[in-house]
Amino acid sequence: MIQVQNLTKTRGTLKVLDDVSLTIHDHDVTALVGPSGGGKSTLLRCINGLETFDCGTITAEDVTLTHGSHAEKSLLALRRKVGMVFQSFNLFPHMTALENVMSGPRFALSQSREQAEATAKALLTRVGLSEKANARPANLSGGQQQRVAIARALAVQPAAVLFDEPTSALDPQMATEVFSVMKDLAAEGLTMIVVTHDMDFAERATVVHRMVAGRVVRSGSPADILHEPHA
Amino acid sequence: MHTRYRGLSLLLTLLLSPLTLAQDLPTLKWGGDKNGGAPFIFEEDGRLTGFEVELAEAFAKELGRRAVFVQNQWDNLPELLDRPNQGRSDDIDIVMNGYEFSQERHAQSPTSVPYYIYTFRLIGRKDDDSIQSWHGLSEAKPRKKVGVLRGTASQRYLEQRYGEKIEIVPSETVTEMLQLVSDARVDATVQDSPAADYYVNNARFPKLRVVDEPVGTGYYVLLTRKSDSELREQLNAAIRKLIRTGELRKLYQKYGLWNAAQQRLSYLAEQSWPAVVDELGEEDLRSRPAMTISRQNVFKNLLLAAIMTLQLAFVSFPLAIVLGMLVATGRLYGPAIVRIPCIIYVEVLRGTPLLLQLFVIFYLLPQLGVLAESETLSNWLSLAPFTAAVIGLALNYSACEAENYRAGLLAVPKGQMEAALALGLPWRSAMRRVALPQAMRIVIPPVTNDFIALFKDTAICSSILIVELTGLYYQYKTYPGIAVELALAVGLLYLLMSYPLSWLAQRLERKLTPHDGGRP
Repeated sequence: MIQVQNLTKTRGTLKVLDDVSLTIHDHDVTALVGPSGGGKSTLLRCINGLETFDCGTITAEDVTLTHGSHAEKSLLALRRKVGMVFQSFNLFPHMTALENVMSGPRFALSQSREQAEATAKALLTRVGLSEKANARPANLSGGQQQRVAIARALAVQPAAVLFDEPTSALDPQMATEVFSVMKDLAAEGLTMIVVTHDMDFAERATVVHRMVAGRVVRSGSPADILHEPHA
Repeated sequence: MHTRYRGLSLLLTLLLSPLTLAQDLPTLKWGGDKNGGAPFIFEEDGRLTGFEVELAEAFAKELGRRAVFVQNQWDNLPELLDRPNQGRSDDIDIVMNGYEFSQERHAQSPTSVPYYIYTFRLIGRKDDDSIQSWHGLSEAKPRKKVGVLRGTASQRYLEQRYGEKIEIVPSETVTEMLQLVSDARVDATVQDSPAADYYVNNARFPKLRVVDEPVGTGYYVLLTRKSDSELREQLNAAIRKLIRTGELRKLYQKYGLWNAAQQRLSYLAEQSWPAVVDELGEEDLRSRPAMTISRQNVFKNLLLAAIMTLQLAFVSFPLAIVLGMLVATGRLYGPAIVRIPCIIYVEVLRGTPLLLQLFVIFYLLPQLGVLAESETLSNWLSLAPFTAAVIGLALNYSACEAENYRAGLLAVPKGQMEAALALGLPWRSAMRRVALPQAMRIVIPPVTNDFIALFKDTAICSSILIVELTGLYYQYKTYPGIAVELALAVGLLYLLMSYPLSWLAQRLERKLTPHDGGRP
């Protein structure tokens, strides 16, 4: 369970997050929707500790992050529970696909090379890319790169994975291939928080939150949130 | 304050001197190197003085000309004279700076009759009993370090008399070398008698003493252009006149340089020059260092110097890289207390010349110990030339490397570090595994460039007693007829050593760049 309580973040005079509170239950797929600049990505980045905030708390399992508690120790503990997939994939260009997936187990969890390789190979198979294990990111399509990135996030066995607009940089066909992987993961019970503009995917979410101007303005089932006329 | 004062007095001298009258006289431009120091040519109270300066003025007066001094590095004076005279401000008519007579030199730049008879003097420390005689030099174990002025007859004398039995340490100025002997960083030095008389016998270096008898009588002569036979005759006549009138004696007495040996000048100057040299006593000829050198010897020393060059480069550059990385990360990611010193470090080391840094490290650092009145500190800071050179090169280049790495790290997209951190990698691992390897690839071309630059900059280390390729070139180029070949050989060696480096770097760059059809 991830709990966000009264999270507030300002950038200059702008309130990027304005008293945001959310609870994400295990095995739920939570979709964050709303106009650009509404604070969805910032919220995600806060939950992963990539951005600091002014007040409020974030609790993931037994780790609590407050304003000013961004010590490396608690950040590391948090990030091992919460993985992240980026809009622009951010694969490491100097490593092969396999090495990318191995990097978490190897360098974050200090696993042996053999163990990490076994985990990574299994995950690449799971995202349908076992034959691309030795390819460099630059030789993969966007959809393939994002699937490697998902495998990489899963390799450290996080309790939840955050997806920050995972298909925005992809054409529709590649987006479909990424979504199909994500649907499989959801079916397997992975806790996911997804920032998305894709209504088809949001339809399948357990809970949907609409964010506007740094506030969660509506929360509920996809049917409730997605089909009501925008205020 | 002091320098302003000096400038003012210089201006006054210029205004008040009968320069306006002298201006109309044709010039007698003479080349010398004031870094050679007293009593030859040196500055005192902002004015150029020395027995050669006064001699030049006396010659000019005899010739109805106006003496103009042209400063140039000592080793290069004969080449400066050889350039055709086109009336440029640095063209010279004669060279006068303790150049000794030899048949080979005379064949290249015809010499005047001698104006001074000098000997070699062995100088040691008063408190050092281990050096009592010339003979004792060769017996000492471990080998004695004996300093000389680079490229002078005294260097040839030591090389030919002692060979491998002593370690010859070449310097560019007399006072630097005397200070090193005084500080016990060099065991002894061989200098021409005028310098020994002026500095040591007059107790300007109170810790030093002249050891044993003088050896190797030689003659200081003026060098002239082959085509200037008329000028040469005029100068010979001027020297003879100064000897006859006793003016020369008076001048030398003023500098404490007169001695019985100089009485032979009046005989020598009146004979047919340089034919008279052949008739001189056996002793004179035997003690002169020959002006020829075996190719084998040159080749062996070139090889040793090349190895020294390689050692300097390969020891200092890895240090520069490590230091540079630390400074770059400190400057990019450190808190202000780390960042600001890193910025200062880079700016100071990058903004001052390597030559100056080497001088400070080698010559001035031990003075800290003197200031602190701690002999242990002083001894500890008296670095060996190689150590000082490596430290100087590494520090200087670490500043450049820091900037390279900083640029490289900034060029790695921000998302890379974020992705690594989001995976749960500690910051240091993320840096080491993700950001640095990518930065590394970006910086290979500029770092290679710097390595080749450092490789060539090792030449500057010859100023702190290290014999590497360029230093060796200066040591041997005073042997007539060898300069061009030697320059080519040294240049070729640099090229032979630096080209493989750039080739290696290109391979490395290709290897580290992923095969991605042109994307970075």
